[in-house]
Amino acid sequence: MARFDATRPPERGIVVRDLTLAYGSAVVQQSLSFHVAPASIFVIMGVSGCGKSTLLRHMIDLERAERGDISFDGQRLWTTDAAERAALQRRIGVLFQSTALWSSMTVGENVGLPLQLHTRLSTAEIRDQVAFKLALVGLAGQESRMPSELSGGMQKRAGLARAIALDPDYLFLDEPSAGLDPITSQRLDSLIMNLRDALQLSVIAVTHELPSIFTIADDSIYLDNESRRAIAHGDPRALAADAEHARVRAFLNRQSVDASTRAEGDGPESPARSEVL
Amino acid sequence: MPQSAASDSALYRIDARNETVVLAFTGDWGRATRLPTSDRLVERVRVQCGDGSTPVVLDGSGLDNAHPRVAALVYAVTQHLKSHSIPVEVRAMPETVHALVDLARPPAASGAQAGRMPWLQWLGRAGRNRMAAGASTAELVGNAFASTPKLAVGKAQVRWVDFMAMIRETGASSLPVVTIVNLLIGAVLGFVGAVQLSAFGAGLYLADLVGIAVAREMAAIMTAFIMAGRVGATFAAHLATMQANEEIDALRMIGVSPFEFLVLPRLTALTLMMPLLFLYAAALGIGGGMIVADMVLNTSPASFLGRLQDAVAARHFVIGFIKAVCFGVLIALASCYLGMRAGRNAAEVGRAATRTVVVSIIGIIVIDAIFALCTNALGV
Repeated sequence: MARFDATRPPERGIVVRDLTLAYGSAVVQQSLSFHVAPASIFVIMGVSGCGKSTLLRHMIDLERAERGDISFDGQRLWTTDAAERAALQRRIGVLFQSTALWSSMTVGENVGLPLQLHTRLSTAEIRDQVAFKLALVGLAGQESRMPSELSGGMQKRAGLARAIALDPDYLFLDEPSAGLDPITSQRLDSLIMNLRDALQLSVIAVTHELPSIFTIADDSIYLDNESRRAIAHGDPRALAADAEHARVRAFLNRQSVDASTRAEGDGPESPARSEVL
Repeated sequence: MPQSAASDSALYRIDARNETVVLAFTGDWGRATRLPTSDRLVERVRVQCGDGSTPVVLDGSGLDNAHPRVAALVYAVTQHLKSHSIPVEVRAMPETVHALVDLARPPAASGAQAGRMPWLQWLGRAGRNRMAAGASTAELVGNAFASTPKLAVGKAQVRWVDFMAMIRETGASSLPVVTIVNLLIGAVLGFVGAVQLSAFGAGLYLADLVGIAVAREMAAIMTAFIMAGRVGATFAAHLATMQANEEIDALRMIGVSPFEFLVLPRLTALTLMMPLLFLYAAALGIGGGMIVADMVLNTSPASFLGRLQDAVAARHFVIGFIKAVCFGVLIALASCYLGMRAGRNAAEVGRAATRTVVVSIIGIIVIDAIFALCTNALGV
């Protein structure tokens, strides 16, 4: 497993050092250390319940870790003062799993609200920016529609437009493809990659959708729900072929752990009997 | 050099040269607090274009950096000018801006927003919607009449644990607030009556005033208001949330009637509890008046109750009792109807609760007025 060296000096992008996530006495994940490079797509993967979304909520400062540290371009998330943290949060865009569009507002108002709150732009100036963000995600001209009038895929794209409204440096996506058909999911994947290239975004996506993982990921981490640690780190295409751990190979090849162990030889840990998928 | 622009003049320049109009983007758009709007840029460019055939060049060579805000304006201006058939060329624009503008897709022709609806069509639709709402209400009331006998013989699809929870929610859980409000209403009536009646030596008749007012009007109305705000809003919000979460559809899919499973327990519980709460409220209201009579007029509780027995006929309680039943049915039907017809989003939940309270309060006043007219005509 390619390990991130936490002793190196701060570098650009997101650096996670020795993070332990816990709810009370229940440890969700421990000793997580990794680096998200600028203008890359980093996928957090693992089976349901392994703590992927919990890790994402910690990285966007909705939860506080039991131990460890996260820094964005060398700026530490939990040791800076409130004003600096607020400024940092404005550089972060988030697409929630349920999209979390505000149902009482139109799509245009949903995308425009962050600009209203965090910039001094006038209504007409905001209108131009909102129209462009919606055009970027393929929803041009849909400003006046209510979220309830949009399909699931359109809601995801509207949520994405809201997430990039403030031109963030970091974009967090929680299960972006969940509940979408394969074609819509593939379009969303293309959109995410295009946005990474055009806006030079660092994208951190939580997903267990294999087609999405193989399509978009530049780098990835696999969170194991048995050892409660990250047991693989690297390009998922390479991990599917030669990951050290049988559970990682099984996950990425849609196999049971037993089958993966038989096909590739034993991993370092004793094979588990449970089905992964 | 980075600069903080207070106005948008440092961010663009328009020149007409060599039979082209050049719109040059300049400066640092990321740090600017004011931006030019696409409408303004297009207007100024079109003035320079004259007859409309002059090509326009969007030049990005003067930009300090490639902020996405530039891309938004390049995209908007390009779309506007193309819609007026003005040729546009983008030149020396940073690669990131190019990539963003290429990624943005203009609205498809079929995706254009619908225009304003003709008034006749709007009127027709509004009328049809009203008729549909009326039919739904009639269906709900009809269902209430049809299903209640099924409940009585135990054949309705009702979970009795839910029904008992509704009884507790509407009855016992409402007692504290019903107690406070009705005790104080009786006391206030007592104070006002005592001051006025004692002015001309008729303090003895305070029992008449408080007794009739409470038994015939105030106990039923105040209890109904409380139940509309406390229970009606809860019912509506709960059912609207179930609607948003597709729980009601799930009930239909397993062959359970949402009316019998959700509405009937609420309707029955509120219809049964309202008259009981009315009797409790009337006793407390009269008690409040009696305490005030003792404190202000030195009328002993025994004298007050004796006078009450002579002055307040049973028919006043019967009228209040019947009103309470009607109010209970109204609140239950209004809350269930509005909750189950709510849209599938969070805002609709709040709207259903608010509408329930408003509709219930108006309905309570209307029913009370009808009762006043009818009892007056009948001489009771």
